[in-house]
Amino acid sequence: MRYELLIALRQIRARKFQTLLSVGAIALAVMVLTVSHSLLVGVTGELYNITVDKLPQVSVSPEEGEDYIYLYGTLVERVSSIEGVTAVSPFLTGQASFKFKDNSLNSELRGVIPSQENEISSIEEDMVEGSFQEIEFSRNTVVIGSKLAEKLEVNLGDSVDVSFPNANPLSLRVVGIFHTGSPLDEVLTYTSLDTAQQFYDASNVVNGVSVHLRDFNRDREVANEIKKLGYNAKSWTETDPAILRTIAIESTSNAVIYGLIVVIASFGVVSTLNLSVISATGQIGMLRAMGAQVSGIQRIFILQSGIIGLLGALFGTFAGVLIALAIGQYEIPADQSDLYGSISFIPIAVRLHDILFIIFAVFLLNLITGIYPARQAAKLDPVKAISSK
Amino acid sequence: MTDESTVIELKNLTKVYQNGVEFRALDNANLRIEKGEFVAIVGPSGSGKSTLMHLIGLLDTPSSGTLLIDGKDVTKMSDKERSGMRNRILGFVFQYHHLLPDFTALENVMMPLLIAGKSREKAKNVAEELLEKVGLEGRMDHRPGELSGGQNQRVAIARALSCSPAIVLGDEPTGNLDTKSGDMIYELLRQLNREYNQTFIVVTHNDDLASKADKIIRLVDGKITVR
Ligand SMILES: Nc1ncnc2c1ncn2[C@@H]1O[C@H](COP(=O)(O)OP(=O)(O)OP(=O)(O)O)[C@@H](O)[C@H]1O
Ligand SMILES: [Mg+2]
Repeated sequence: MRYELLIALRQIRARKFQTLLSVGAIALAVMVLTVSHSLLVGVTGELYNITVDKLPQVSVSPEEGEDYIYLYGTLVERVSSIEGVTAVSPFLTGQASFKFKDNSLNSELRGVIPSQENEISSIEEDMVEGSFQEIEFSRNTVVIGSKLAEKLEVNLGDSVDVSFPNANPLSLRVVGIFHTGSPLDEVLTYTSLDTAQQFYDASNVVNGVSVHLRDFNRDREVANEIKKLGYNAKSWTETDPAILRTIAIESTSNAVIYGLIVVIASFGVVSTLNLSVISATGQIGMLRAMGAQVSGIQRIFILQSGIIGLLGALFGTFAGVLIALAIGQYEIPADQSDLYGSISFIPIAVRLHDILFIIFAVFLLNLITGIYPARQAAKLDPVKAISSK
Repeated sequence: MTDESTVIELKNLTKVYQNGVEFRALDNANLRIEKGEFVAIVGPSGSGKSTLMHLIGLLDTPSSGTLLIDGKDVTKMSDKERSGMRNRILGFVFQYHHLLPDFTALENVMMPLLIAGKSREKAKNVAEELLEKVGLEGRMDHRPGELSGGQNQRVAIARALSCSPAIVLGDEPTGNLDTKSGDMIYELLRQLNREYNQTFIVVTHNDDLASKADKIIRLVDGKITVR
């Protein structure tokens, strides 16, 4: 073993109390970091799953210069047979003006085949009144969002007047109200495909097809396959890159905050080592007289800081992982579970590469903070150091 | 001029301290020390004895003049070269032993060999032999805190000898000891000097001890007065 490591290890062991404190402080900070990070990754992952799951993961739109997709039946059939596709929903959508008594508002009126649309957006889970399937069975019916219902002051069973320039005005009966908690509650309404075609004065055509996948990470792949069939297809990462960015920004700012806590904990080591440089001045001078180079003296202190950091990181991540896994076991009581949507356990994601990264980063950080006491030690004039008592 | 048997040669060696006023701690020192000599350095307090030792020990750099060790000019060497020379050909015993408190006597004596990159086994063998030589065969696993002042100073001597240096420097090695243990330490140094034929240069305030040396160098106000 090199003498630098030998001395570093021996000094760490000799200063039991300070070592315990320093390692403990770093371990505590690393533990908090590990738990919060696992929780963050778990929750964003879950959020991501929920958000992306309800998104059309691939959207097919009309050819360049066209308003509609004709012969969509063939398209639906061909896309359905692609490996990994779980649902396909053709739709005809556009803007419409909704009027009830004196209230009037614009919203999207989307004509769909309810059973197929539900496989994409799971809108049935969000129904608070009436039924989503109803639009399929009776003509001239509509399902609207809770916000729009509130603003128009309509109730289930009321008929609203729907019109738009170049469209055939209709009177639609409200057969369902949904509540997603998102802006969609005001800007989206559903009707049957037939009704929409009648309203927009179109033949049996659609202007979009939504595709749902078993694995939403294969979106680009499937989009490319659909393109090969000669259609215009886009994956959700192309149409909704904002979702990815928002989630990424939140995880970064969180990591920065907890990273700072670890930095602060590491400074405890610096002050301990500075004291040790002062109390070991004579011995440092003697080591120089024995032939230790300046770099060797520096290494003794950088190693001490690094080893303390590594110990703190190991204990901290170990405790953090145990706590995170314990939290992951916690079942959310059934009466509160609708607060968190359909989640029944607290989402926790312990990822090995994150843990390894934390350990490595804390070790590196402590090697760096060790430079300061190492410099102090190396700066000592050997003559003065030796003459000190 | 330099013959085979000369290990240290000083030519107009000068050390000037400059904090506000100029102070000549060592003034134009000329000196030649032969291989195997036991040299005593004496002189009043503040006369430059330690300054001379630090220069010869390559712990300090002269303001002017030349210092030859083994015929090589050491005044213009890098830290790495000087550290290497300190490790290989110089051994030190100071007034304070500065033993590493968390290491045993044996490990302390092994340290210069480990710095030299020698294996643990080799270092252990050498250290054990030297600790026996200084009469501490029963105390090898004791730490400095568990040994007396005189015993610690003997550990420091064993440590100074562990890399078989050509030159052993002692700056008041008995300064902290009572007369009896001080005499014993000197006896030990003299005996080791005869046995290994290493060059010893020892600073002392004790004229009686100095008189037993091969050569006495007297310093007054940074000048060598007797050679
Ligand atoms: N760093 C320094 N700056 C200024 N003056 C110094 C410095 N170091 C030593 N001196 C001066 O140089 C002179 C010689 O000092 P040195 O330590 O060599 O004396 P010494 O002969 O060893 O004395 P003692 O017997 O008390 O140990 C002293 O007057 C001291 O004050
Ligand atoms: Mg002195």
